[in-house]
Amino acid sequence: MYQDYLGEVKKLLHGKDYKVVGKNVIRVDAIEKVTGRAKYTTDFIIENALIVRAVRSPYPHALIKKINKKPAFKIPGVVAVIIGDDIPGENQCGYYLDDQPLIATDKVRYIGDIVALVVAKDKESAWAGADAVEVKYEELPAVFDPKEALKGDFKIHNRKSPGDVKVIKGDVEQAFKECDVIVENIYKPGSQDHAYLETEAAIAIPEAQDGILVISTNQGPFRTRNAVARVLGKPQSQVRVITPYIGGGFGGKDTYGPIISSLAAVAAEITRQPAMIVHTRYDSFVYHFKRCPFEIRFKSGATKDGKLKAIEVDYLCDCGGYAAHVIGLLKRAAYHSTGVYEIPNCNVQGIAVYTNNLPVAAFNGFGNPQMLFAVESQMDLLAEKLNIDPVEFRLKNALVPGSRTGTNQLLDHSVGIKELISKVAKKADWVKKRSKQKRWQSETKKRGIGIGCSWHGCGTTGFKHDWAGASVILNPDGSVTYSTGIVEIGQGTITSHAMMVAETLGIPYEWVKVELNDTSRMPDSGETHAQRGAFIGGTAAVDAALKLRKKLNKLASEILKCDEDEITIEDGIAYSLNDASKKISFNDLVREMYQRGISPAEYGFIKARRGYPDPDTGQGDPYAAYTFGCTIAEVEIDIETGEVNVLRLYPGVAAGKILQPDVVRGQINGCAMLGLGYSLTEVVERENGKMVNPSFTDYLIPTIMDKPEIAEFISVEDEYKYSGYGAKGVGEIAFIATPLAVANAVYDAIGVRFYDLPISAEKVYFALKRK
Amino acid sequence: MKIRFILNGETKVIDVEADRRVIDVIREDLGLTGTKEACGRGECGSCTILVDGSPKLSCLMLAAQLEGREIITIEGIKKDSDMHPIQEAFIKHGAVQCGFCTPGMVLVSFDLLKRNKKPSRDEIREAISGNLCRCTGYQKIVDAIEAAAKREL
Repeated sequence: MYQDYLGEVKKLLHGKDYKVVGKNVIRVDAIEKVTGRAKYTTDFIIENALIVRAVRSPYPHALIKKINKKPAFKIPGVVAVIIGDDIPGENQCGYYLDDQPLIATDKVRYIGDIVALVVAKDKESAWAGADAVEVKYEELPAVFDPKEALKGDFKIHNRKSPGDVKVIKGDVEQAFKECDVIVENIYKPGSQDHAYLETEAAIAIPEAQDGILVISTNQGPFRTRNAVARVLGKPQSQVRVITPYIGGGFGGKDTYGPIISSLAAVAAEITRQPAMIVHTRYDSFVYHFKRCPFEIRFKSGATKDGKLKAIEVDYLCDCGGYAAHVIGLLKRAAYHSTGVYEIPNCNVQGIAVYTNNLPVAAFNGFGNPQMLFAVESQMDLLAEKLNIDPVEFRLKNALVPGSRTGTNQLLDHSVGIKELISKVAKKADWVKKRSKQKRWQSETKKRGIGIGCSWHGCGTTGFKHDWAGASVILNPDGSVTYSTGIVEIGQGTITSHAMMVAETLGIPYEWVKVELNDTSRMPDSGETHAQRGAFIGGTAAVDAALKLRKKLNKLASEILKCDEDEITIEDGIAYSLNDASKKISFNDLVREMYQRGISPAEYGFIKARRGYPDPDTGQGDPYAAYTFGCTIAEVEIDIETGEVNVLRLYPGVAAGKILQPDVVRGQINGCAMLGLGYSLTEVVERENGKMVNPSFTDYLIPTIMDKPEIAEFISVEDEYKYSGYGAKGVGEIAFIATPLAVANAVYDAIGVRFYDLPISAEKVYFALKRK
Repeated sequence: MKIRFILNGETKVIDVEADRRVIDVIREDLGLTGTKEACGRGECGSCTILVDGSPKLSCLMLAAQLEGREIITIEGIKKDSDMHPIQEAFIKHGAVQCGFCTPGMVLVSFDLLKRNKKPSRDEIREAISGNLCRCTGYQKIVDAIEAAAKREL
């Protein structure tokens, strides 16, 4: 059932070079975006849409004793006040677990938990109405430290933990006895705000036959549809979700998209009028869920010949008031806890803990950057103890084809990490720059260089199978209508889909039109996350296009009276490879399909080739394939101010076939900057679990002035045979490696290791002072 | 109050509350949604428009301040029906990802290249330093502006 798509495509193209794939094309969305015509959620201006404003809890943990709607109705313009009991369907919006009511009814579990919605004719009335609703609370003891939460008895939910994970392999105890060096530390990588420029928003519009249309900022149109259907008590067919262009997602809109969409939908359903909810930047900072902070105890050991023997890891994930995305990211962290290395003995145990902090979201890397920060710091510490160069140490232990991962998954092909490390090190001139003797430094400035290696399983972590659909319609004039369930959040996926469809059909890329993302066109295609947009969604596109291409080849061979295997289609002309005068245009061929009653439309549908690790041992195949990353960072530290200035980054990926080099370059640069923010400046300051620096003035995302020189990326095209054109995902990998490389470079420069992120100037300053 | 101003070359007379934010007037009343709001407090540059030729943040301006001014938004910078060379350069150099910061970036570049025909990379960096982008890492935006400048606008 798993097709060798790469092999099939290569056979179809008779081994010729690709005409479209791997080239730089004009993105599907580029012209609309530079001219201001591209529509994002709030650009759909619906006349007379009601405005929805949430009433949110000011307490981190409290019982809701009474809600008085009446004062809100004194405000002219207020149309409805909605509480949890008014929800027509099930009052439930948990992502993995059913632990989160859309509107809290009995108690609140974080500052910002929603207790009511005010729906009004205009913004001013909605805001005034929300202020007017009277809610009586009885405060409960709150907890913000996950360790305290585990020890104490806070009863946030009826259990302290929403979930845990284990990866158990080999005999760790015995292995540590055989180690010559052992390093053990505690790491505390922190939270991070997605800080996408477009805040969360949703519009819901009642449609014919009791249906409802939702237009929203989401990364999972089907999950959003299913969530809305659930709270409205409707079949999924009655809910249609249109996902327009998204102004940045990074995972945040995967988590919050279904929630904000459900809020608008409940308001529209109850009032039977269009309703809209838009977060201000303040709302977005304070209320949308963020990166999960981890606390990781990491012990690793190696023999004196530099071979890794064992790891023992236990970690806590502070998930805040609800489980939201923690179940998945907790597992992903465990499955990646060996790093890109072969380690025969593992004992990894992770647990998520409820606190009264803001809940956590998916965010680039999904738990993996936090875990790999520990892994890669440990690697450098072990290398130092063993007196081996960090690059050499990594090369000695890196995964190769035939290796088994910590979850005992056999990686039989598409494992480019070793070659990647060598190439990135060479490009960065590692050996020379790492040498302390020749290094430039001054009285006040110290320089260092560090490496970070990452890997990231492509596809959803979790409980359900990982599938996606796509559809291709050949129109009578030869143009092509393409639809996908994958969302365009800026990553460029829909362009890569169009390219693969064009290549497979043998036509120019410009002939393929990508339709607006609409759940009514497509079977459930999962979410746009986890590096699956091109990897799984794109393979569905190839699946659909291949089905049509086979029909076209057969038809062309009949018309041209030659063998099917002789037919090729290039630039919109089908011809015989043995006799080029035997040819027919793509348009004529398609018209002939219609004439002969051959269906000119196909759905593609694929399922990722992966399994489920055993819950007790974590042994199994959690992902179909892994993308690898390696980044080297050069830093300069001002020892008077503690400021870390990243001078240069050398990124690299082993991500299978690179479908569009320009787009990948953009993703890598963007990820590098997102990673720099996480490394150095982005601090989510919290009081009672609430973010208290909710502005771009106080929460510092990198500007152009913070941008280091970023070298042209290295790519090892370790093609994966079960995906369209051998591509793997590339959206998260370059992010993950950046903080690891920066942290190791900081140590190289000043000899101080930081065990938490971000490494702010303040921390460096005081650490140097202590030193 | 009645306000008269020029928007993308066309004279407009509108009747609005004087304290309505310009971004809302442009987006909601006049239907030009290319101007984006990302922070609403002058921190990110997404809502940049040109007022009498200079970049201004439309989230910090009130409707009354439009009186007698000449406004250009992202919809108004192209010559005739073609794209402006800056827009072409943004496309060609892959400077567009999610696109939410793009209108603001294009407008500040337009202003820069009007003032300075041959900006250095540092001058380009300076010009866009008030505009946040979370997707591109800025590199290709700088490349695009540099390329547009070389075409001697």
